[in-house]
Amino acid sequence: MKNALCLTLGLTLLASSAAAQTAKTLTINGYGGTDQTLVNDLINRFVKPTMSKEGVTVVYRPLQGDYNQALTTLLAAGTAGDVMYLPAETLDGFVATKKILPLNGVVNTSPFIKTLNSAFTRGGRTYAVAKDFNTLTMVYNRDLFDEAGVAYPTNNETWTSLATKLRQVKQKLGSDYYGTCLTPNFDRFGAFAYATGWQQFGANGRTNLADPRFAEAFNWYTGLAKDKVGVTPSELSAGWGGDCLKGGKVAVVFEGGWIVNFLRDNAPNLKFGTALMPKNNKTGQRGNFLYTVGWAINSGTKNRAAAVKVLNLLTSPQAQQYVLEQGLAIPSRTSLQNSAYFKKTEAGAQNARLVFQGADDGNVRAFTFGAQGPDWAKPINEALAAVLSGQRSAADALKKAQADMTTFQRR
Amino acid sequence: MFRRGQSTATALLFLAPFLISSAIFFFYAFGRAIYYSFTDFNLFNDPQLIGAQPYAQVLSDPSFRRALANSLVFALVTTTLQTVFALLMAVALNNRLRGMAFFRSAWYMPSITSSVVITLIFLWLFQRRGVANYLVTQWQTYQPLILTFLIGLVVAQIIQVLLERRAGQPAGWFDPALAATSALGAAAVTAALVFLGVTGVREVPPFDYQYFADKWITLGGVQVLSIPLLVIIIQNTFTTVPTLMLFFLAGLQNIPGSLYEAADIDGATPFQKLTNVTVPNLRPVTFYVITVGLIGTMQMFDQVAVIGSAAPQQTIVTLAYYVYTNTFKAGAAPVNMASAAAIILALIILVMVFVQRRFFPSEAR
Repeated sequence: MKNALCLTLGLTLLASSAAAQTAKTLTINGYGGTDQTLVNDLINRFVKPTMSKEGVTVVYRPLQGDYNQALTTLLAAGTAGDVMYLPAETLDGFVATKKILPLNGVVNTSPFIKTLNSAFTRGGRTYAVAKDFNTLTMVYNRDLFDEAGVAYPTNNETWTSLATKLRQVKQKLGSDYYGTCLTPNFDRFGAFAYATGWQQFGANGRTNLADPRFAEAFNWYTGLAKDKVGVTPSELSAGWGGDCLKGGKVAVVFEGGWIVNFLRDNAPNLKFGTALMPKNNKTGQRGNFLYTVGWAINSGTKNRAAAVKVLNLLTSPQAQQYVLEQGLAIPSRTSLQNSAYFKKTEAGAQNARLVFQGADDGNVRAFTFGAQGPDWAKPINEALAAVLSGQRSAADALKKAQADMTTFQRR
Repeated sequence: MFRRGQSTATALLFLAPFLISSAIFFFYAFGRAIYYSFTDFNLFNDPQLIGAQPYAQVLSDPSFRRALANSLVFALVTTTLQTVFALLMAVALNNRLRGMAFFRSAWYMPSITSSVVITLIFLWLFQRRGVANYLVTQWQTYQPLILTFLIGLVVAQIIQVLLERRAGQPAGWFDPALAATSALGAAAVTAALVFLGVTGVREVPPFDYQYFADKWITLGGVQVLSIPLLVIIIQNTFTTVPTLMLFFLAGLQNIPGSLYEAADIDGATPFQKLTNVTVPNLRPVTFYVITVGLIGTMQMFDQVAVIGSAAPQQTIVTLAYYVYTNTFKAGAAPVNMASAAAIILALIILVMVFVQRRFFPSEAR
């Protein structure tokens, strides 16, 4: 009896290990944090049912901490997932590793928004399909404008008219209130520089911070810090714009669609509205960033066919509709532009519509730093921090930033 | 013969875990780093030898030169401060006083706390709206009161001492009993002046110094030490002094009491005893403390990593951090440059210890 039991157990173990060997496992790498639940849900709904029919087990393995560093280590060690997130701003570094599979002829990229495809294209090769995207909008606290008796910001705001409104709010409400939060960082300020027509890289591949157009945006942005109409988030013990708005003391912030869920969770009673980014007075154009993360395939994957299938499922119209309705980001498929969700009047849906509209209104550029990586933005960030904290004059800071940029780009 | 062979084998067996781990994680890793520093390795390619080119690239990198300068300044200042304070603290704790066990444990606390936690606390202390600025604001606010009190105290003490001396009593300038009376008098005078409206609390704007900004102490136009690095120096001294103090304390217990008795008979002052008896007899311990201090400070990394982007990178970048940022980037990274910088760092530490051994003998004289 005992022997029979042992035999049965042994055979079951053998059978299960044999089954494990034949079944394929496909790993997906992505962000940890809040993405973890959403992406797991996405995979459970739209990927697993199809793939399990083909005998492929799909596993989501989020990378905690600094995603780029963690992915680099896994790629170098040959243990990265088969399919993975690829942020557009670090694309160049990853392309240089030759570990990202070019998708030309592998995946059909035509159903996706063109500017997004070009954000992932280098030298004619497309390395990822945008999973979704975001742009900047102007998000404002309705109550503060009502209380100050100032009209809400509109989609036709210019830099001057917006600054006037912010000053009025500040004047009416007193020293505890502020017009806006100004992040001392290129990832927000850059949008204003683009509005003037400034180019991130000139024909020679160099960045010109001495360009009068750059200086115009720099002076306007830092000029708001005068009389504390604009403050840096750290002055309000906040980490970013959403945190500033949450406190109820700041009238306007420049943020993307990610602010909607944050406000829903952290300031459920705050009544907010959204408007498009203000236009530069001279050019009459808005500036904006396309922040995007794509799905890419590991060139060393052993399950290429399955990986391609998973990528297609992750970017399918159904999956993208789901992403849109979760309010986290805007889908990248052109066909979803007419989604009924965009027509809703609720504040979150209104924000989503304007984030979407921002993608091709004015001077919109993908959020990237070029081949030398995120260090590129440092001279600009330092200049912004120095002027916003009153340590340097704008002219002085710009001169130093240009000198630092020249040294950096010579490396 | 057999027994000797057997005991060697036993010794090797017991040493095996240490030998294997240092062979893998030290000798092999060090060898690889030297090899990579002469190649074009970027984590993803097959390394090809390219000679000393990575070293030339590293030396011409302004960020490396800043890291080198920061590391050297940090190592020299911190090692000096922590050695001096550790010695003074050990001398103080070597006395037989009531509750000494409590002080010994209390002063050792910073050393056993995680450096990440202490760095976070320091970040908080030195924020724009942190405790350091708050205390300065409070000082400025209450300055009239404090100054009135201090002036009153000094004047009252002088008057009392002069009166005592006139009466033929041998009163010292710092006599505690008289000081207590003077303090009471000064407090009464200050209270009276506040009541009369002559002096009072000042209205001052909050002190707004940014410790983690691009601010430098310059010498002849050369940026020597940044304020953020100065904060790290203070923090590092605060956390390492207790450990080094323990070494000094152990050393102090070994100095024969007869030497101090002889000094007492010769009429030496406490300062003379410190410089002529304690310091020379602690030479072996001092050598150890300075060596450990220099190596530790030259390799400082954790505080810089935790502060991260809260301060401009060039103000706090050290060699160890430079090596790290060049190895862990998004995608292909200049690992050959990072290896070259790591080898340069190792050479500098080696030279420092060698120079110290050569010119500052470790034996007691």
